[in-house]
Amino acid sequence: MTGKWLPAAELTGSGRPVLHPGEVECSLLSSVDLECEENPNFPLFKSGLLIVTTHRLLWIPASATAAFAIPLAAVSHIFSSSSSSKKSMIKTMFASPRVRIQVSATPEGRVEEGGSRSVVITLVLRGKSDQSDSFSGKLWEAWRGRAWESAGDSGSSSGVGVGVGGVGGGGGGGVSVRMPVVGVSGILRKEQEMWESTDKSLQDAFQDLNALMSKAKEMVMLAEKMRLKLLSGSNNQASAANDEEMGSKEEMQDWLLSVGIASPVTKESAGALYHQQLSRQGVERLAVDNGKMGVIQRCGVPHYMFTLVNVVLADFVKVPIERAGGMVNLIDIYCLFNRARGTELISPEDLLQACSLWEKFDVPVMLRKFDSGVMVIQSKSYRDEELIHELQRGLPWFQLVTMTLSVFLCMSLWPAPWQALALMSHDIGVTTFALILTSKMVLLRIKSLVLKPDALRTGISASDAANYTGDCSSYG
Amino acid sequence: MRRRPGIGGLQTAAAARDQYRLLGENVAKLKTDLMKEQLATFRSQLEDFARKHKNDIRKNPAFRSQFHEMCAKVGVDPLASNKGFWAELLGIGDFYYELGVQIVDICLATRLHNGGLIKLEELCKLLNQRRKSAREAVFDDDCLRAISKLKVLGSGFEVISVGKRKLVRSVPTELNKDHNEILELAQAQGFVTVEEVERRISWSSGRATDALETLLDEGLAMIDDGHRDGKRRYWFPCVSSISSYVGAETL
Repeated sequence: MTGKWLPAAELTGSGRPVLHPGEVECSLLSSVDLECEENPNFPLFKSGLLIVTTHRLLWIPASATAAFAIPLAAVSHIFSSSSSSKKSMIKTMFASPRVRIQVSATPEGRVEEGGSRSVVITLVLRGKSDQSDSFSGKLWEAWRGRAWESAGDSGSSSGVGVGVGGVGGGGGGGVSVRMPVVGVSGILRKEQEMWESTDKSLQDAFQDLNALMSKAKEMVMLAEKMRLKLLSGSNNQASAANDEEMGSKEEMQDWLLSVGIASPVTKESAGALYHQQLSRQGVERLAVDNGKMGVIQRCGVPHYMFTLVNVVLADFVKVPIERAGGMVNLIDIYCLFNRARGTELISPEDLLQACSLWEKFDVPVMLRKFDSGVMVIQSKSYRDEELIHELQRGLPWFQLVTMTLSVFLCMSLWPAPWQALALMSHDIGVTTFALILTSKMVLLRIKSLVLKPDALRTGISASDAANYTGDCSSYG
Repeated sequence: MRRRPGIGGLQTAAAARDQYRLLGENVAKLKTDLMKEQLATFRSQLEDFARKHKNDIRKNPAFRSQFHEMCAKVGVDPLASNKGFWAELLGIGDFYYELGVQIVDICLATRLHNGGLIKLEELCKLLNQRRKSAREAVFDDDCLRAISKLKVLGSGFEVISVGKRKLVRSVPTELNKDHNEILELAQAQGFVTVEEVERRISWSSGRATDALETLLDEGLAMIDDGHRDGKRRYWFPCVSSISSYVGAETL
């Protein structure tokens, strides 16, 4: 008769429930009643043994004649005992704790997984209070563990409904012996479940990752085409003058950077648009003469990068450079800058790009690379001092002469001499003033050597030219 | 458009060129629009992914390294810039850049002791000690990625393999094959003697002494002349296990 309402559960000869493969007992309570208020025909399940397993709720009557199970898969909700707080305090103190669960059932009222109706079954825990305290927690865990899903097989839930309850004789007994084993295996089972559920969510994650990566691959292929176009475009001088096309080129570099593909930064183009937003404003602030403006406009300047480059970074490095006496390691700047920022850090590549952009502007700092690979940020005045110092020691004499000749060539032949001089001084990494000053000094020296009485006859030796000391003040 | 000789022909040719150019620009614009669309789709897909798995990336190092491997295979670099989609939506940029800063700090702090070469495990251990307050622990793979990003800044940040171990170099010192072999030998006991080098690797004494002296100059080795047998021992703090407790004190 009772098989009508609740699925039956098998019992062994000694009255122990037969567990399905993978099913583990979690908790055991005695003197538990099962009630169903909504169903008047619900039979009385009084004072039985309630076993919570990972898959089912088993109820075994004291006589161990037949057992019944509520598959946890059929449970749709577990009401916490605090939800029935309408009851008065006294009543809850004296009444037995009850746990109400909502299970799905067929229209006739039989408890089954996936049924159309739902009924509420109350578990009245009349046993010892300390046992019942932890009970609802264990029930929650078992239910949430959803072991029947990961097990994959349907045997645990639907099989119960189909199977005929093996009614065994004999009394109950030997329950307490199984307790310790249940505890350990329960823990092990829980661990395994946790791994499986993590695994499952990771599987999902990997599937999503694969899908994402295939999309990214498409983007990369498209980006390759774009990249070739960029490279070919930058070689073509005529197209570089076209502002509109330049705009789209920068946009393209911007997109490449968003996706995470290294963009080919040639000397002409100054990097992606994202490294670019402020451009016009900042450029106007900086550019002193039209010539420079033309150069910078052709290159374009990234907003983000521009703000980073000139306003933020160049200002920022002033203090550390001064403190260090003119030169700071690039890595140290990276650390200092990022620590000061706190969030929205810049990547090492951003920093490198920003510093390389400095050479297009008239900022008082420059990036310098040594042979060993070490990169430093140096203040230009430091470089000026170095240059003048070198001049006074007379060491790189022939370099200085070449430089001087180029300077005066620029000044005499070029229609816009300052533009060319600015470019040249940026290349060397000194200020324009220092360049002209040095050239004048070199020229004076040459003059003094050439005007020596015997110069035409004996010529000027390299050591003569190199021994240049003390005449610097007479440049006039 | 028949080719005509003379000025008319030139004008026609010019007009034709213009038309082709316009067509080309239109095609380019179409391509640009297509690219924009693709990018938007990609971005939304990435957003979905991020919404579901951002935490997984942060918490699960195996997943994180798998993610990076796949990105590398496809050819994208999620850490290239902090303004890219990856960093913006997945938020991993800051994690690695900050890790870079901490790595530099630690290398600097231990440089006096080990000469600029530090074991990868030790670096990770010191990092985790430092980041006790942070939620995520760091693993070897994360350190490797952060260091590979730091490489672009010069100053010689690199990971080199000596035998089975990985060492992180933070100075621009170049280590040649000889030095590597000595370091490998030193991993066993933490020190080597000239005789040992000669015996185990069968070098001439001059070669061994030369290599050891260079390592001494670079600050990677320390000499110990206090042993009873009078032989000079060269200790290498960077590969020996005694170095682990010293770093912890200073940090």
